[in-house]
Amino acid sequence: MTLQSTKFSVPSEKWKYKSKRSERTRSAVIFIASIFLLIYVLAPVGWLLSSSFQSEAEIVSVPPHWLPHEPTMENFNAIFFQEFEEVTYETRRKVDPAAGGYIPSTAKDLLPSMWNSFIISVAVVILNLVVGVPAAYAMAKIRFWGRQASVYTILTTRVIPDIALVVPFFLVIKNLGLLDHVMSLIITYLAITVPFTVFILVSYFESLPDELDKAARVDGCSRLQTLIQVFLPLARPSLVAVMLFAFLTSWNEFLLALMFTQTIASQTLPIIVASFTSDFTISFSFINAAGVVAIIPPVILALFFERYIVSGLTAGAVKG
Amino acid sequence: MARILFDNVTKYYASVKAVDNLNLEIKDKEFLVLLGPSGCGKTTTLNMIAGLEELSKGDIYFDQQIVNFMPPHIRDVAMVFQSYALYPHKNVFENIGFGLKMRKYDTAEIDRRVRDAAERLHIEHLLDRLPSQLSGGQRQRVALGRAMVRQPSVFLMDEPLSNLDAALRISMRAEIKQLHHSMQTTFVYVTHDQAEALTLADRIVVMKDGVVQQIGSPDEIYERPENLFVGSFLGNPPINLLVGELVSDNAGVIFQKGRFKMEFQEEISTKLQPHIGKSVTLGIRPEDVNEQGAAVPGLSVSGTVNTVLPMGSEQYVSMTIEGTEAFFRLGKEHKHKGGDNISLDINRNRLHVFDQETERSLLWG
Ligand SMILES: Nc1ncnc2c1ncn2[C@@H]1O[C@H](COP(=O)(O)OP(=O)(O)O)[C@@H](O)[C@H]1O
Ligand SMILES: [Mg+2]
Repeated sequence: MTLQSTKFSVPSEKWKYKSKRSERTRSAVIFIASIFLLIYVLAPVGWLLSSSFQSEAEIVSVPPHWLPHEPTMENFNAIFFQEFEEVTYETRRKVDPAAGGYIPSTAKDLLPSMWNSFIISVAVVILNLVVGVPAAYAMAKIRFWGRQASVYTILTTRVIPDIALVVPFFLVIKNLGLLDHVMSLIITYLAITVPFTVFILVSYFESLPDELDKAARVDGCSRLQTLIQVFLPLARPSLVAVMLFAFLTSWNEFLLALMFTQTIASQTLPIIVASFTSDFTISFSFINAAGVVAIIPPVILALFFERYIVSGLTAGAVKG
Repeated sequence: MARILFDNVTKYYASVKAVDNLNLEIKDKEFLVLLGPSGCGKTTTLNMIAGLEELSKGDIYFDQQIVNFMPPHIRDVAMVFQSYALYPHKNVFENIGFGLKMRKYDTAEIDRRVRDAAERLHIEHLLDRLPSQLSGGQRQRVALGRAMVRQPSVFLMDEPLSNLDAALRISMRAEIKQLHHSMQTTFVYVTHDQAEALTLADRIVVMKDGVVQQIGSPDEIYERPENLFVGSFLGNPPINLLVGELVSDNAGVIFQKGRFKMEFQEEISTKLQPHIGKSVTLGIRPEDVNEQGAAVPGLSVSGTVNTVLPMGSEQYVSMTIEGTEAFFRLGKEHKHKGGDNISLDINRNRLHVFDQETERSLLWG
């Protein structure tokens, strides 16, 4: 009884001070969780990078070497200088695959295919802007008959899976005589990316007040000048987001490229990289080196536009 | 170019009729105020002058020229928007100079005019700031400056003061009036604030649901409202309205509501003669009374004070007349409190009578 009365009569100081210990525990938990997440995300990339400098023999060693013990430039030399012995049907058993030195016969196509991918991606990005920006402005700020319908229609096309579009696309491309031509991919990638571009930009432009548009027009801008002088500078983060999206989609696309391309005249990077697995032998280290080369352009882009990416993706959603 | 003529102009948004058969001549260099409650079509009317909205029917003339489909960047108009609509990515200088830049003025001229306008608006020291770094009053000045530098022949303003606090609003009214005086151009000014309209306007256009209710000078609008809406929209506190009947009496035509009676002056009485027996609304403005000693039936209102609302320089007393609460303005020298019995002499020159059915004034219009 006495104990209880003291408990109530002496005010507890439990909540008077911030507990240092719980503060520290919390930071530690967050820190450790972040480390795990980072490892989870970055480990495959790290392995890709590390193994691209390893020989085929080292790559299969148990336990794996996270840092190459005998770094080799063999794979990169093969990509950049075509320094390798071509493996043919006859020579396929000459060397033990585990000893390395097997470079796929299509290795020489890697750089040309990368160039194709680059041309296609850049063209898709530019055409996305040329088509998507005015379309989005019109849908956001000009009232015309069927405006809502066109916004929905454009979005709806993205619900259809690409695989369902392969046959119709193929027929169109074939009739245009564009099979095995980079144009075939530029055209079809536009069909895939423009809806997203328009969607992101429409929602951003709609978030800008109508009076801004009116002010510019009263100030002497035509519709096009309003778009260029007022809306585009404000939309920069959104523009970066859609450009990156269009670029990466084109850079990574596989299915349509597989359908429409046959030779190195139009084959893209994913097609050539995939072909490395279907040669007489498979060199994992070489494929990983090709993978490293393939991610360089997107990584450069991402680093370059880093500060716009997050704000761009949320710009339409959050007003301000 | 500065006379604007609306000739039977109608504007639909899909099925919503925003402006209904507008006929209006805006004279050169006049200060015209469009006044009405929210949603009555004021902004739409202004946008049609600017060319920001197309008309559904009718014609708009600038002087002798029909401009129905002339795009805004070709019209010589400037506009101040309710939200100011400053360009967020441009600093104050660029905001103000943008209209000149788009019209290909040379940089020296732009510089001169922007600095000139900035000086007149007392914002010279803000020219390098972005709009996000300005207070509401400063943004409002930038918006004014942006319109001023162009020296347009028509100056449009859409509720430019509605986002400011009360004190600033009053002082800006004076500045806008000053601006009109010095610019010597046609001003069309939109507001839902009757005090603003009465202060600024040469002429007021009262609108309701897209329909013009009355056009006239502030005095005409206030003192001779042509219908019940105009009468009750202007005035603060609003006009007191009593619903009753016109009956004949040995004093002529009188208004009667239960035991409350109000006689009219002879001139008015004659005007009302044909309407005897009609159900009408009597309007008494709160300021049209004087305190007097004895209650004279037919010439005064008398009753018990419900509440007293002191307003600093004056006071309002409320009393119930035949079930309707009415407010009257009295000078501060009268000391009243709730429960006092008072009688007030009505200024019978200034009574308003509206037909109960058509809501039109039986005295004017
Ligand atoms: N862009 C629009 N689309 C559809 N209806 C509109 C549009 N703009 C205004 N309206 C309608 O037209 C009427 C008049 O609007 P407005 O001119 O903005 O009124 P005010 O400026 O007097 O408040 C309102 O009923 C409003 O809802
Ligand atoms: Mg409005």
